[in-house]
Amino acid sequence: MGISVQIRRALPAVLAALTAFGCGGGADYEWMIGYSQCNRAEPWRQQMDADIEAHTAEHPEIKLIMKDAQNESFRQIAHVKEFISQEVDVLIISPKDTSLTQVVAEAHQAGIPVIVLDRAVEGDQFTCFIGSDNRKIGAEVGKWVVERLGGKGNVVELQGLASSVPSGHRSEPFRAALEGTEIEIIFAADMEWLSELAREKMLAALQRNPEPNSIQLVYGANDPAAIAAFNAARDLGREEEMIFVGVDALPHEGIEAVKNGILDATFLYPNGADVAIDSAVKIHAGETVPNEIVLGTRLYTPENVEQGGLPLD
Amino acid sequence: MNTQRRSLPISREVGFAFAALGVVLLVGALFNANGLFFKPETHALALWAVSGYGILACGMTVVILTAGIDLSVGSLVALSGVVFAQCTMEAELSGWVALPAAVLVGAACGLVSGMLVALLRLQPFIATLAMMAFARGLAKTLTGGVKVQKMPPPESIEALNARFPILGVDVSVSVFLFLGCVLLTVFFLRALRFGRYVYAIGDNEEASRLSGVPVRLTKILAYVMCGAFAGLAGVLFAAVERQGNPDAGLAYELTAIAMVVVGGTSLMGGRGGVVLTVLGALTIGYLRKILDINGVPTAQQLMITGGIIVLAVLVQSLRRE
Repeated sequence: MGISVQIRRALPAVLAALTAFGCGGGADYEWMIGYSQCNRAEPWRQQMDADIEAHTAEHPEIKLIMKDAQNESFRQIAHVKEFISQEVDVLIISPKDTSLTQVVAEAHQAGIPVIVLDRAVEGDQFTCFIGSDNRKIGAEVGKWVVERLGGKGNVVELQGLASSVPSGHRSEPFRAALEGTEIEIIFAADMEWLSELAREKMLAALQRNPEPNSIQLVYGANDPAAIAAFNAARDLGREEEMIFVGVDALPHEGIEAVKNGILDATFLYPNGADVAIDSAVKIHAGETVPNEIVLGTRLYTPENVEQGGLPLD
Repeated sequence: MNTQRRSLPISREVGFAFAALGVVLLVGALFNANGLFFKPETHALALWAVSGYGILACGMTVVILTAGIDLSVGSLVALSGVVFAQCTMEAELSGWVALPAAVLVGAACGLVSGMLVALLRLQPFIATLAMMAFARGLAKTLTGGVKVQKMPPPESIEALNARFPILGVDVSVSVFLFLGCVLLTVFFLRALRFGRYVYAIGDNEEASRLSGVPVRLTKILAYVMCGAFAGLAGVLFAAVERQGNPDAGLAYELTAIAMVVVGGTSLMGGRGGVVLTVLGALTIGYLRKILDINGVPTAQQLMITGGIIVLAVLVQSLRRE
């Protein structure tokens, strides 16, 4: 009781201090970006947040306000409403799902330019949608695999959770690219985006194909799966027989694995943070931006990883 | 009197648990994936895959024997794995420091759960549900939500993944640790007074209290043991994954409980034992391995596993008649 009263008394002072701190001791910014993230608990989205922060820092005139909805729609809706009443100059939102459609439209109708990042909302009540293309990534992986194997060999495919959209998008174009070649998918399994399951499935693939050099390549639908597959092969002393390919290319995961000779390739699943901040700056300057921007991918291999990879647009 | 009452039915229960395992092994022999099932390597890998869950199930058995339950072990796997990874990868401590530290973290969480159950009289389901949430949150807080990884992994991590040839088969360190945990649990339950108290409390808590059994202390110790085992299992899972993942261990408590129940230990407490749990763990572990080497898709694997659990428990209930 006593403590809570104390907290309540101290609260205005704390808030005042925080506000002063947040403003850097005065209004030395010219305009504001409100940034609403649906779930900071995913490594990929943490990278997105870090990139948004880093790219905003290149523009000292911008003040960035970040909010994390912790994967709850109603919380994200409230965050957008707060941004509307705060009258931010540009709203960047990476929505949890289409349940954000209405509040995004509200912001748009209130005259705030809205950039929708990664996941789409319904309708056209926003300024610009920036998204990645898993189908394009799947096709690029397929193309690269055909080239790398010289059109011949046995492949293990560790797919993402079958009910999730990116799973099929990363798999179908990959398989289509292998058609007409002598590359055969001799084992495919659903690892449900879980690295421990990827390990179990890979062990099964190795056991079902016990002869040396009976597997040439493993394609993991994300880097953790490909790395787990490498570890499984390593535990059976067979990691040298085959190469491992993943998707996502997070700096501390996939790219690090390429640098360490674990993965032979990883394909970037871009978060669009750089494009989002660029677009926000353009919109604020009165320029027009495309209604939809589809991001390309980037290939990282041991040869090009130090140079920052090879863009595939 | 006590030993007589326990030893006779137990041996019959072991027989039933063996029967369940036998049926699964028979299925393996029939669907042997072109002879793969008969290769020693398959069994070495099956034991490796089962060992982490088996260690969880050992601790779970002790708690369940007191008529309790521990839902927090999956989260403790994540927490101790993260602690171990941070100690070895970030603080660059030796494995000899990191492993005990991770086990202690698990034991400490078990201590809290035990005190909530024994001293504050919270229901085990509720107390450990709370610990499940808390430990998961703590694991995420320690890491800022991201995985702890370092490439290449430190030596202590690879040492835990080492395998030693026994009779021409490479057996992993995890399997030896699992065996150690089983022997330790057998010793605790059979050779110490603690074991008699555990069974007595599960049988009839009120009667035990009246006859002078230190009910609260025994319960607390049971949860500490379960937590410490979860800590060790967390280290092994982290080692095999070469990372400390705050999202690891999701629903592992359910696998551990299933292993205990399929073995034949009663969820009502007082009946069963850790030897049964080993058989239950092998039954579930082998089932998974057999389905895996036959390339059965996950969707069908889940259905078959569900069916087998019901079947095994139905057989177990027959023996009481």
